[in-house]
Amino acid sequence: MTRQAFMARLREGLRGLPAQAQADIVADYEAHFAEGETAGRSEADVAAALGDPSRLARELRAEAGLKRWEEERNPSSAASAIFALLGLGALDILILLPILMGVGGAIFGVGVAIIAVFVAGGAVFAVGPFSGAAGGPAAAVLAGIGLMTGAVSVGAVLAMVTIGLVNALVWYGRLHYRLLKPALEPQAAGGFQ
Amino acid sequence: MPEAIEIQLKKGALELCVLALLSRQDSYAYEIASRLSDSIGMGEGTIYPLMRRLQNDGLVETYLVESSSGPSRKYYRLTVAGKASFSSQKAAWASFSGAVQDILGGVE
Repeated sequence: MTRQAFMARLREGLRGLPAQAQADIVADYEAHFAEGETAGRSEADVAAALGDPSRLARELRAEAGLKRWEEERNPSSAASAIFALLGLGALDILILLPILMGVGGAIFGVGVAIIAVFVAGGAVFAVGPFSGAAGGPAAAVLAGIGLMTGAVSVGAVLAMVTIGLVNALVWYGRLHYRLLKPALEPQAAGGFQ
Repeated sequence: MPEAIEIQLKKGALELCVLALLSRQDSYAYEIASRLSDSIGMGEGTIYPLMRRLQNDGLVETYLVESSSGPSRKYYRLTVAGKASFSSQKAAWASFSGAVQDILGGVE
């Protein structure tokens, strides 16, 4: 591969990253080619030693997505982490999709149920004392508070489980970084794997 | 996934090696890459993502040095946090590799 082809594929792959990060990364690799040339190596030789530029760009982008999840825990950054892992090829979409839909559906369902219980608790709390429910007004107020606090605590557990699941996915995905692949492949014949 | 573990193992060692080189003297990425790919067989392409990560983590910082041949070079040096990280990683590596060596020696 020529220097031009390598840089073109790298630039292509980096699209979507912040402009400053793209410029820094491109400058690093341009400098590497320049140094290689000064040392008398051919462009093809330097490019081969650097590895696959598309793979490189995918991993850099994936890391940016995973970083975002680690910095801010919210549904949109969770989605960006999962898409980053899919882009990496770490997770097989055909295997992951049914699982994600199942787990995601369950989380969504439990979330809706929690909100419903909370609202119902609020209704019991507000209306119960005036409806002449069995046990008198005090019992209705306590039951309402009980339902609401129960909903909040189950909600907290659900949030923790969801964060834990996404973290596990991120950990699993990072095991699939292959930046060392070009170095490992030639040695594979010599005993690895 | 033995292959993935192998890669993680090498990546951990790579970071330690880069910190060790920089603890001796400041250097630029091409020089670090060629030193490491010669001696421990690392792909040269792995060095840039690693240097970016070390920089984002605040373990190294960069400065430009005019070069007699061609454009100025971006040199890396260890920060205080980088030096601290190097000593603790070095100690962890020494005790780990010592323990593994003992066990390997005992097997033979």
